[in-house]
Parts: sequence; structure tokens; C-alpha cells
Amino acid sequence: MILLHPCFKARASLLVVSIVSLLPAAHALSSKDSVPEWVTAAVAQPKGTYSPETSAVELLNETTLTVGTDGKAVERRRRVVRILRPNGRDEGIIVVPYDKDTKILSLHIWSVGPDGHEYAMKDNEVADEGYPGGGGLYFDERFKVAKAPGRDPGGVVAYEVEQRIAPYTHEATFQFQSDIPHVNQSFTLEVPPNYAYVTVFAHHDAVKAIDLEHQRYRWEMNAVPAIDLERVPMHPSASALAGRMTVHFGPVGSTGAPLGSWQEIGEWYDGLSRDRLVATPDIAAKTAELTAGKTDFYDKAEAIGEFVQKQVRYFVIEMGIGGFQPHSAGDIFRNRYGDCKDKATLLSAMLSTVGIHSAIMIVDDRRGVIDPVSPSLYADHAIGAIEIPKGYESPKLRSVFVAKSGKRYLIFDPTWEKTAFGQLAHNLQGSYGILMEGKATEIVEMPVMRPDLNTIQRSAKFQLDADGSLKGAIVEKRFGDLSESSRDLYTSADAKEQKMVLDRRLSEDFASFSVADFKVENVESLNKDLTTSYSLIAERFAKPTGGLLMVRPRVLGSEGLPVDRKARLVPIDLKQTMVAKDDFDIEIPAGYEIDEMPEPVKVDMGFASYESASRMDGNVLHYSRTYTVRQVSLPADRYADVQKLAALIEADEQGKAVLKKK
Amino acid sequence: MIVKASKAIAPLVFFAALTAPTGWAQQWTAPTPEELAITSIPEVPGASALYLYKEETADDGLHSQNFYYRIKVLTEGGKEYANVELPFYAGESGIKLDSIEGRTIHSDGTIIPFKGKPYEKTVEKTKDYKIKVKVFSLPSVEVGSIIEYRYVLRLDDNWFSHPDWMIQSDLFTRKAHYMWRPTDRQLSMEDGKQLSSTVAWTPLLPTGAEIKQTKVQIGHGRDAGSVQLDLDVHDIAPLPKEQFMPPMRSVSYKVLFYYTAYRTTQEYWAAKGKQWAKAGDKFAGLGSATKEAVATMTAGATTQDQKLRKIYAAVMEIENTDFTRARSTAEEKADGLKDIKTADDVWTRKRGSGDQITVLFIGMARAAGMKAYRMGVANRSDHFFLPGYLSLNQLDDDIAIVNVDGKETFFDPGQRYCTYGRLSWKHSNTSGLREIDGGTKLADTEGQSYKDTRVSRVADLKLDDQGVATGTVKMTYSGDSALAWRQEALRGDNTGFKEDLRVAMEKMLPSGMDISVTTIENPTAFEAPLTVTYAVKGPVGSPTGKRLLIAADLFEVNSKPKFPEKKRELPVDMHYPSMTQDAVRFILPASMVVESAPAAGAAELKGMAVFDTKVANSPTSITVYRNLTVGRALFASDSYPDLRSFYEKIEAKDQETLVLTRAAAAAAAGGN
Repeated sequence: MILLHPCFKARASLLVVSIVSLLPAAHALSSKDSVPEWVTAAVAQPKGTYSPETSAVELLNETTLTVGTDGKAVERRRRVVRILRPNGRDEGIIVVPYDKDTKILSLHIWSVGPDGHEYAMKDNEVADEGYPGGGGLYFDERFKVAKAPGRDPGGVVAYEVEQRIAPYTHEATFQFQSDIPHVNQSFTLEVPPNYAYVTVFAHHDAVKAIDLEHQRYRWEMNAVPAIDLERVPMHPSASALAGRMTVHFGPVGSTGAPLGSWQEIGEWYDGLSRDRLVATPDIAAKTAELTAGKTDFYDKAEAIGEFVQKQVRYFVIEMGIGGFQPHSAGDIFRNRYGDCKDKATLLSAMLSTVGIHSAIMIVDDRRGVIDPVSPSLYADHAIGAIEIPKGYESPKLRSVFVAKSGKRYLIFDPTWEKTAFGQLAHNLQGSYGILMEGKATEIVEMPVMRPDLNTIQRSAKFQLDADGSLKGAIVEKRFGDLSESSRDLYTSADAKEQKMVLDRRLSEDFASFSVADFKVENVESLNKDLTTSYSLIAERFAKPTGGLLMVRPRVLGSEGLPVDRKARLVPIDLKQTMVAKDDFDIEIPAGYEIDEMPEPVKVDMGFASYESASRMDGNVLHYSRTYTVRQVSLPADRYADVQKLAALIEADEQGKAVLKKK
Repeated sequence: MIVKASKAIAPLVFFAALTAPTGWAQQWTAPTPEELAITSIPEVPGASALYLYKEETADDGLHSQNFYYRIKVLTEGGKEYANVELPFYAGESGIKLDSIEGRTIHSDGTIIPFKGKPYEKTVEKTKDYKIKVKVFSLPSVEVGSIIEYRYVLRLDDNWFSHPDWMIQSDLFTRKAHYMWRPTDRQLSMEDGKQLSSTVAWTPLLPTGAEIKQTKVQIGHGRDAGSVQLDLDVHDIAPLPKEQFMPPMRSVSYKVLFYYTAYRTTQEYWAAKGKQWAKAGDKFAGLGSATKEAVATMTAGATTQDQKLRKIYAAVMEIENTDFTRARSTAEEKADGLKDIKTADDVWTRKRGSGDQITVLFIGMARAAGMKAYRMGVANRSDHFFLPGYLSLNQLDDDIAIVNVDGKETFFDPGQRYCTYGRLSWKHSNTSGLREIDGGTKLADTEGQSYKDTRVSRVADLKLDDQGVATGTVKMTYSGDSALAWRQEALRGDNTGFKEDLRVAMEKMLPSGMDISVTTIENPTAFEAPLTVTYAVKGPVGSPTGKRLLIAADLFEVNSKPKFPEKKRELPVDMHYPSMTQDAVRFILPASMVVESAPAAGAAELKGMAVFDTKVANSPTSITVYRNLTVGRALFASDSYPDLRSFYEKIEAKDQETLVLTRAAAAAAAGGN
């Protein structure tokens, strides 16, 4: 599933893959079925030339949005897909999401088998499924699901659906790029007199509307290539690359803010959330208890933030507008559970009782999905932005941005349970968020954190025996996102699972080993290094060959990059800024001396630097390295540099020192 | 199973009101100071939570089942147990799930009742059935809290549902009580014809636990039973979870109940086997056209083996829709056909499911004059067959047994491209129900030999003086290793298959190599080995100033220890015995000589597995040979230390290094 925290409603069409296994097979159709003319016409187009990897091609996507005089809108969508390869069969499974506000008015499905047989599915062959649920996420969204006959390579599947769009938003998003090529696409808007509209495009140049007269407009996006990321390493989210158009509509002059602006979205959201932010006496009392004796802004905010982060469980039940609207702060506080926007709401309410202003910030945990030039509600997560008092300075202020108003905000995500107060999870860094401040709402770029705020430090002292076995003590310190999975492991897994994970990690570097004296510190102290220490015996670590002993100075821990050797077409997601440091001492066995040592490495590519060196100090082989990543993403044309860096790291990590008998 | 009261025996009875049966936890359990103080349990160090108590009681007289759980949260991870999801099947039996109550008790004794309304949603709805779920989350849960909840599952008055006691779960259970009062009424079974006469069960229980049967005097209403079944258990370990484990979850502690018309397991399997065999034989009965086809294809064959090979080859040509896609009724109808009902249909349409193809093979073997039998088996990748569990659902797949020239042999034609006369590993060493002359019986399938599955990995590489190797890699697969790849190919197309093969090789060889698939031989010729040839080029070792260090067996360079864990509770399941043979030849550049190479080595695991490696030198090349034979699929947990030690020896040898020296440096150092 793509959405990690769909606690803020995004587009449901992303859920297709997760539910197809539940479907019954279609049956009982008439052999006299025939497909409509528009399907025939789409199929009759020249077949086009596609790469052998192309699983299917969308021949037609014709969407019409009709807005009534009452402001309610209905969308009619026609889609025709030709399946090209066996793995394109999933395209022949029609999935249409809906809920009580987006009722499906009609759905018709047709298909043409590779042998030319034409089919029309009956209503009773379309299953009705709920969101699978689980993991604390429950939505009222449902799906009409149908397995079209003839969905084999060469077959064509088509459907036409008419569906209401949610009445509480006045925007619709047309996604015109995906993992398959799109041949002919159009989006038509029909609005009543005195209605205005605005379109915005994300990840794509604006397409000019064709005026069809009588308040009807059409946008055509033809021959749009696929974004196939299936085997592309270090790729951004597909939704951060795919072109989409959002149309905003409404009566002329209905809002004070410009139609389709971030401000208009903010005012709309303010109406939804304002009364939910009200603090109850219970909330005020708890906040007073948490901040008792604290006078510093940061200390107070941290105490409140950590309460919401740790004492309010993540649990989601969303219905209709509940995808956007938080529960009231009082309910969230009483139940001690809620989703991301609930947590941000309670955070805001609690802060307000001690005179600290904060705002909800709508973000997407897939970097790059929110496009700053394309105002819309297309997002999947909510966090908090805490206003920093004017003139307040502290070295603890890290995840900070400055709004157009000049106000500074400290970003905090109370949903992310292992991200320390003051830090920002890597997937939000360098991305955009909507600062929901009513009329002062704006789009803001979230900061990329300094590399030294996300660190791993491994240090160890070992003794090497002549038989190749290695003994020593290891200390590993992790901070920031690099500590997240370990903190999660040591808070959630039992001792057996913890041991299993450690064994699996160590097996990356040692063939045969045993661990003793394992200790872990600061698991819950997110603003301190998570420190693990243990002693290790690794048999046959050094490889005796003839009179030589081959030793890998980089004893453990890998920072390898998963590059491939193909031409790069999409940007490179480096995931996170970070610093990794290793410092290992290996006392070599008596009677041996160094014969050869790996060459030192020192390279700085701007976005990252890597430095390592091995040296002898008496009878101790010392290895140190520092790997720093300074950016979270790169354009595709820097891929050669990433490949070069990956090769250097790989060579360095595999480098051997050769010991020989004196 | 949900069954209906037999109208012939007992007409519908409706109760005006329902009351909870005696013994159900109507009152919350007051936590003891000890329970409130628990922070961990010695049985599962670091456990996220535990069941302090579970109670599941059912009373057919009330057509209801009551559930009550008390969970102690021990870590942050344990808080997730406060999110409760209760799925239920909302069919014509009128099942309702209601009376949900819950509360949270903090470690200081503070009680926070659950006051919310459970969220009900439909997860799946078709014209035939509806699956619903009720969801709620208990409030204010902290580490140290005890969370409690209870609910009731109710059926319409003329419906009955036996419980199944799933005793083992992901959490440790301190104490649990189960109770069922089955009805004494005769019930109409699934086919609507048969009447249940008794209640039976399959107990998989920890030592010392047993089900108590008690005569009860006072029942609830007309459907009340006269016997009560009780089970008390304590200190139940969580479900096991280890790598390479057999499907142990299928034999977790549980009690499976049935309303049944049979009095013994023998009676059940005999009667059900008869029906099962009849249905299979009906499907396998061939019409004249298919018989004629058999005659034509076996013409000229003089032995049964020759005939059967031709039949097997013919059914292997049939599209196996388990790997592609089964046609819907509409698609069949579009071709003027009905759904597949007989082996003739499979033969005519040249497609069918694995089971359908197997039964066609049986029918054709019979048509060729051989005795052929159907056997339904449990798929060993998923679960074990339990003779005491009275359910045909255990029989996942069909295989065939044919008497060929006087010897019964197993066949697996439903596994497309399985070798003639062999079973896929998941159907070997398992059990099930087979046909015999005049009936059926429970039987086992045969195991496999290491000779059945071989993988040969041969690299022929020319090294340059920078340590870049250029050459070919040839992989040859037979048995289950070939079957896995061939079936992977069936699911996709040639483009995808080639990419899968390339990626698999990329993961095996040193990183940074350019790899392309040049030829794929015998992708469908199931009697021949599958051979894949690659062109490869790239760095294969670590250069130092004057040396090049290369992992001796290039195919193992990225391998990780198979068994890093020192201790293990469960047996090891390697799926099938196998033999892997490697040969890696490096043609050396003139500028390099071999300074040292790993010594020959060998290891043995008490007749269960053997390993050897050696290096052969020539003036211009060096070749590393490695052979690993694993002679069995399953290893008992007490043999784990030896198995682990055996693999550690192999892994240590695999990591040994071939040292090449620049010729000038070697000369300066006095030569090799």
C-alpha cells in the first residue's frame, strides 16, 4: 500500500492493488453483448509502439465534471485500456472507490477478449468491498470491483462510471499520468452560469483549455508517457512525478480569497477545524500539569508535544468529511487516540492554553507530491507548526521555517512516534506543506535538516587471532531517523525478535559469530543517542591464505547505495541527510605485520562526501570513515555521480588489508 | 461451520428473549495487585502484551457465543491490542455481533470505561454473502494498562454454529477457559440432506490439558444440550515464528469442532472418501473423442511407461490456468460453451486448472489401460494433513498415482512442467486421501532424493589486470529448481522472465557487474534441464596495491549465513533435498599469477549433507570447484546445532580468498 498515513484524505484510486485478491470471478454474461461505439473507436486507433516492458496502455480517458446550479457536482468517466502483457491483467480489474458522499450513480463495464469476443458485465457481477482495514486504520470508503472477462494480453477493458463528487470540497483532480502510457485523454468541465473555475497543474506544464461555449471547457492531454518505477532504485514516489490537474470551481465572488489559491483552501479548512481546536478544562489542566515549573517556550512546547506523541495512540476511523475534519480536541484527549490531524489538533489546543499559537499543517509523506504551484487538497498527512515567539532563540530550534508574515514556526509531527521533538522525519524534509492559518494560509517549503542531526556512529576495539577470529566490544550510537527502526524494535519486539534482528544484521558482515553483554540505552529518549553496546566473537573473520591473513578493516556496517546500471530518467531520492562515522581498532596477532593496506578514499561530490582511511599504529590496524549526505534528492543527470560514489563505497567496504608473517 | 436445525426432526423454535448462560463473565474481573504490577513475563522476555485471561463460551440453547478477553499491555507495541477488529459473516443465518463492552484499567487501578460506539462496516458484499467487521478502540491505554472487552455473537433461532477454540495466538496466555454446550437436536448439514447425530472434535492440546464432558441438568430452551464441554488451559506459549520453519501454525494448539453424522474418523473418511472418489471418477470419465486421442497419441508405444510418457507430454501442453487465468462463465459462454465439467472439456479446450488437468491425466491413463488413482494432498508449503481433522478442505491439490508396468508411481501433472514421475516438493512428504481399488484410504506421498533437484553453476571468466572479469555464466536447473523458474515464466512473458533471471544473477554476483541473459534453453521441455546463459562483465575482486583478492566461489560472494541464530525451537524445513555444483574458472592475465588459493575442504553432516571444494591450477587459469549436497528436506530441531555448524563450515570456506599477485611484484618477492 502506498499511503503510509492516509489520515488526511488523499485520492482513493491508489488503493487498487491492496484489495484485488478478494474479488470473485465474473460469470453469467450474455454472449450477445456488444461494446459501445466509443469503445470501438478507441480500440480502432493505431496500436502505437511501446517498450517491451509496457504492461498495458490506456487508450481513452474521457472525464466530464458537471457542476449543478446547487453547487453539487457529478463526474462521468470513460476509460478504455488495452492489455499488452500478462502482468497487465490487473488493469482488467475495475475498482471504483466511493463513500456516502461520492455515490456511484451508474457503472457499466465492457471488455473485448483477445479473440474479439465482446462482453458487457451485469450489475450482480460487480462486488462491493470495504476498505480492508487493519493496523488501526478504518475508513468508510468502499469499492465497486469487477474482474472483466477477456483480460488477457491483446484484450481491452472499458468502463463508464457516473459518480457524485464530495460536496464539501470544491475541487476535483484529474490524474493524467500513471505507470502505463495514456493515449487520448480529456477532462471536460461544465459549470452553471455565474460560476468561475481555476485550474492548476502539478508536475506538468499547464494545458490550455478549449472553450466549448456555454460554460463548457475541455483540456486534452494526449500521448502522455508512463512513469514506470518498478525496478528503478532510489526513485521518488510515482505521485511526486505524475502529472495531474486540479480544477477549482465555485460561484463568482463566493469567497474572499482568490479561487484555487492556497488562501482559499486555508479559509475552507479553517471553517472545518476552528471549533475542533477549542481546549476543554481537562485539556487545560493536563497542560498546566505538564508545563508546571517551565518558563521556556521550547521546554513547554516539548512537554506538550511529547505528551501528544507518546500518550495519544494512533488510531483512525474516518467517515466522509472525517477524512479532512479532525475530531474535537476534547474527544481526542479523553480517548487518548486519534489520527494525524487529531493529534495535530490536540497539540494545538493544548499549546493554546499556555499562550502558544500553533497551526495545523497539511503535508504528504511522499516527498514531492505537493506541488507549490498547484494549490489543492491532494495530501495525506497532518502535522503541527508551532509559532516561535518573536526574538526567541535557542540551539534546540531545528525544524524551523519562516512564513511570509515573518513569523517563525517549529514543525513537529506528533504522529511519528520515534521522531524527537524538534526533529523532522526525513520524508517530509525538502517537501512542501500547507500552513493552515485561515486567511494567512500559505504553502511553505519544509527545511532539509543538517546532516549532523541524523547520525550513526560505530566504534569498536578488536583483537584478531592468527586463526582469523576476531573478538571485541562494539558501541553503536544512533540519532534522528537513523535510530527510528531500532527504537521501534526495542520498544515493540520481544527479546527473541530483538535477538533475531541483531543476528540478521550482524550476519551481513560475519559468517559465524556470537554476541554477549548486549545493552541498549535511551530507547525512549528520542533526543539522546540510542546506544547499543555488546561484545562480539567472530570466528574466521580474517581469511588465512598461504602465509597471509586477509582482514577487512571496515569490520561491520554498510552504507552501500542500491544503484543500477541503466540510463536514469527520474530524479534520485537520497532519502535523508545524514552522517555515518566508523572508528575501528584491530589489534593484529603477534608474529604478523602489515603487507598491504587499502588505499584511502576521499571524495566530495557536493551532495555527499566520503572519506575513509586505514593506517597502522604500532600493532593496531585503525580504520575510520565518515560518510555525509547533504541533500535529500538530486536531478536525474547526477546519477553518474551517485553510481561513482556507490562504486567507491562498495570498493572501500570490501577492501582488505593483507597481513603476512614476520 | 454454520448449520441449520433439521426441520424434519425439530421445527423452528423462536425464543422471546436471550439470556447469558451460566458462567459467562457478566461481571468484569477485578484486577489483582499482582496483575496491576506486572511489567514483564519470564516466559517471553520483552513480550509486548499477554492474555491474562481468555474466555470463550457457547451455548447452542441460546444460539450464542460469548467472548471475554483480558490483556495486559507491557510495552508500547502492546498498545496495538487496544484496537479491536471483530469480523463476522453476515449470511442467512442472521449472525449478529453485539453487546460489546470494554474498559481500560491503568496500573494504578483507575478504570476508564469504553463509552464509544463500535464502528460497523461491510468488508465484502457479493450476491451470495456479506462479511462485516466491528471495530473499536479502548480508551486511554498506557503501558501497564489492563484492557478488557467482551461481546456476544448471536445466530437466528433455527441456526447453530459450533465454536472453534483457537488456543494459541501471537501472545502468551496465562489462563483460558472454553466451554460449549452443543445442542442435542439433529441438524441439517451443508448438503441439506444429511443429519448430524453427534458432535466431534479434533484436539491439538498442550500436555496435561483435556476436554471435560459433564452432563448438565438445566439447559436454556428447547435447543439446549445435555452435555457441557469444558477446557481450561494455562501458560500457553505464543505461536512460534522462526525462519525455515515448517507450517507449524497449522498444528498450533486448538480444538476444532464439528456437528457430524459420523461416529469415528474411519467412518468419516470412508464415507466422504466415497463421495470424493465418485466425483473425481465422474470428472475423469472420458468420452470417445478423448479416448481416441489417447489411442492416437500412444500408438506405437509398446510399454505402459512409453504410453504414459506420451500422455504426460500431451497434458503438459495444456494451458494450466493456475498460472494464467481461469475463464469466467461469460467467456465460456461466448465460445458457446459451459463451465468445465469433465476431463473431456479440459482436453477439448486445451486448458484447465491444475486439479482438472491431473484428473484428465488420470482419465487418459485409464483409457490407455493403466490403473490410475487420484490423491488429494495437503500442500506442504501451507499446512500439514491431520487425519483426525474431519475436513476435506485439507486436500488442497490433486496428484495422480499410476501403476506403470507393475509399479505405482506418483505424478504431478497439475504442476505444469513437473518432471515425469516426480512430485513438486510441496506435494512430496505429505499426506492425504487416495483412491484404491474399491474405495479410498489415507496415505502418504513419497519424499524426494537430492538427485531429483540439481543446480549447476558454471562461470568461465577472463580476468584483466584491473580485476575486471568478462565471460559467461551458465546455470543449469533440474527438478524443483527448474520447476520454480518454469512456473515463474508461466505467470508472465519472456520479457519479464528474462528480467527476473537477470536480477537473480545480479543479486548473486559481485555488485557492479553488467549482466545480460543471452540464451534460455528448454524453458518448456520439462524432461530436459533448464539452461540459462549469461554474458557478464565487471569487477570481481578487491584490488590492493600489488594483489587482487577474489572470493573463491563467485556464486556465494553475496551469501549470508543461513542460520545465524544459535538457538532454535522448531525443525528446519529446506523444502526439498538438492545438489548444487559450482565451477568457476578464471583465465588469468599475463600480468598476474596465483599467489595463494584456498585449500581443498570438505564437511559432512552425518550422512544428511556433504560439501567439498577444491581448486585446480593451470599456468594460465585457476578453477574453483564446489559441491553441496543436502540429502533431506526436514531437519529435526535437535539436529539444529549440527546443521548450523555444517553451514558455518561451508560459509567459512565460501568466504576464502583467491590471491592473485601482479607478476612483477611476485618476481620481486621471490615468485609463487
